[in-house]
Amino acid sequence: MLQHYDITALFITLRLAATTTLILLVVGTPIAWWLANTRSRLRSPIEAIIALPLVLPPTVLGFYLLLAFSPDSPLGGAVASLGLPSLAFSFTGLVLGSVIYSMPFVVQPLQNSFVSLGKRPLEVAATLGASIFDRFISVVLPLSKMGYLTAAVLGFAHTLGEFGVVLMIGGNIPGETQVLSIAIYDHVEALEYSQAHWLAGGLLISSFLVLLMIYGMNRRIHLMKTS
Amino acid sequence: MIDVELLLQRSEFQLNTKFSVPSRGVTAVFGPSGCGKTTLLRAIAGLEPDAVGSLEVNGQHWQTPHERLPVEARRVGLVFQHPSLFPHLTVEENLLYGRKRLEKATNPYDLKELILILGIEELLNRHPDSLSGGELQRVALGRALLAEPKLLLMDEPLSMLDQASRETLIQLLENFLQQLDIPIFYVTHSSEEVARLADNLVLLSRGDVTACGPTATVLASLDSELSCSESAFSVLQGEISSKELSGLLCIECSDGIDLKVPASESMVAKHYPLGRAVRLRIRARDVSICLERPQQSSILNILPAVIAEISTSSDSGSRLIRLDIAGMHVLSKISEYSVQQLGLHAKQVVFAQIKSASLV
Repeated sequence: MLQHYDITALFITLRLAATTTLILLVVGTPIAWWLANTRSRLRSPIEAIIALPLVLPPTVLGFYLLLAFSPDSPLGGAVASLGLPSLAFSFTGLVLGSVIYSMPFVVQPLQNSFVSLGKRPLEVAATLGASIFDRFISVVLPLSKMGYLTAAVLGFAHTLGEFGVVLMIGGNIPGETQVLSIAIYDHVEALEYSQAHWLAGGLLISSFLVLLMIYGMNRRIHLMKTS
Repeated sequence: MIDVELLLQRSEFQLNTKFSVPSRGVTAVFGPSGCGKTTLLRAIAGLEPDAVGSLEVNGQHWQTPHERLPVEARRVGLVFQHPSLFPHLTVEENLLYGRKRLEKATNPYDLKELILILGIEELLNRHPDSLSGGELQRVALGRALLAEPKLLLMDEPLSMLDQASRETLIQLLENFLQQLDIPIFYVTHSSEEVARLADNLVLLSRGDVTACGPTATVLASLDSELSCSESAFSVLQGEISSKELSGLLCIECSDGIDLKVPASESMVAKHYPLGRAVRLRIRARDVSICLERPQQSSILNILPAVIAEISTSSDSGSRLIRLDIAGMHVLSKISEYSVQQLGLHAKQVVFAQIKSASLV
């Protein structure tokens, strides 16, 4: 059966995925909006940087993050000089790593959704007296519902399955930074297959259910539009 | 007054406009596609960030060389060529979108009355995706007006509609736009829409304004691109003076000058009361010239006229002649050969044969 640390690993994982998704939706919105609308030459390099986690081995990302967290680096130094605990081997560090690691999974669906929205609805709203903020709330958000849902699910699910980055910067401390995927790895290493089954199977089924729900909603919205 | 002086430089296109129009009535912006009509309209609305220059609407500076009012502060109503209702809102919510955002609503348009005029009372709870093209444009017009604009811009609002809905909507616009107390810019490439709706006319060609003024005056000038084209026409204003002749309506256009136009029972104008103001469109090709009054002709309208001007340029063997018929200007397009055969010259007294005139 499940041990105490398995339960805490589950909660840490859920908390990490939820926090990361929330931060990414907030941070990702302006980035995706800028990418969808800008004519700047910086667009391609920024798009490439955001897509990097899609192609890089997570360990590469984790390695550089670990270096950045060390007190000798500008980031780690700044954190230390503010009297804050080190980012390495901490939950905050995991969140920061996950935000970077899952960024493309949130930004890209949002960007696609903003592009398909087009300029017209916003221009109409502007002529009708809506300010920029108002236009975003009253036009962009409701018309990008599906984009936000996809972005949230992909960001959440991708953080759930994170392994390499967490291993490099989290240190696998049970009860603090040990997440589900690493707990499974530990069980397998210790030949505790039954615990591994519980965790792995649970993750498999719940992931399937979440995706099923999303595709089901997608289909319903699509059917509503065509009917 | 509305004073427009806007410049916009694109890689292969330059908009360079300077003109003024009165602060009431419909100003048609007319020109072939690609001449910059839509771009001009968007620049006036403030949707073209690269447009420079100045724009003054009834004493209010919307744009000067130093600063520009953002779109949302201009109070401009815009009806696009493609219907553009918000798909996530019902018709009623669409209608009220702009009105809800007014700081102080003065309600110059009564909501219920406007809904009835536009004929959209049955649609209020429906979503835009279940509406026809004509319905969408009527709702879009209502939505723009309820935001109480200082200037209404319409970008070829009829061009995406089928013939039947076009006719319905243009009839609605004919009556409705004239009653509005705000200036209206109406972009079109249809001469029929110009004839039926426009009080003023701005001709646009490759980004330049080639003529601007009251519709009848602009149409009567011989050197505009429109008069040189095959579709040159004149517009006369008049009122219905008699319905006694069977199958005909008499339109009095000037003192004692009656034009007769065929009128079938099915025609809307047939049922207009006497004295009702109407417009006539006469194509330049349908006006021929005789030196003496022809006797026993099948042509209904033969009027004494004075040649005011003959175009010097002759393209494809024809000449354009501006006739003065009791103070009204009517264009006639005849062959170069006829001009020489008849020895036509300015100030000559002739007879104009108008083969057909259509009520618009």
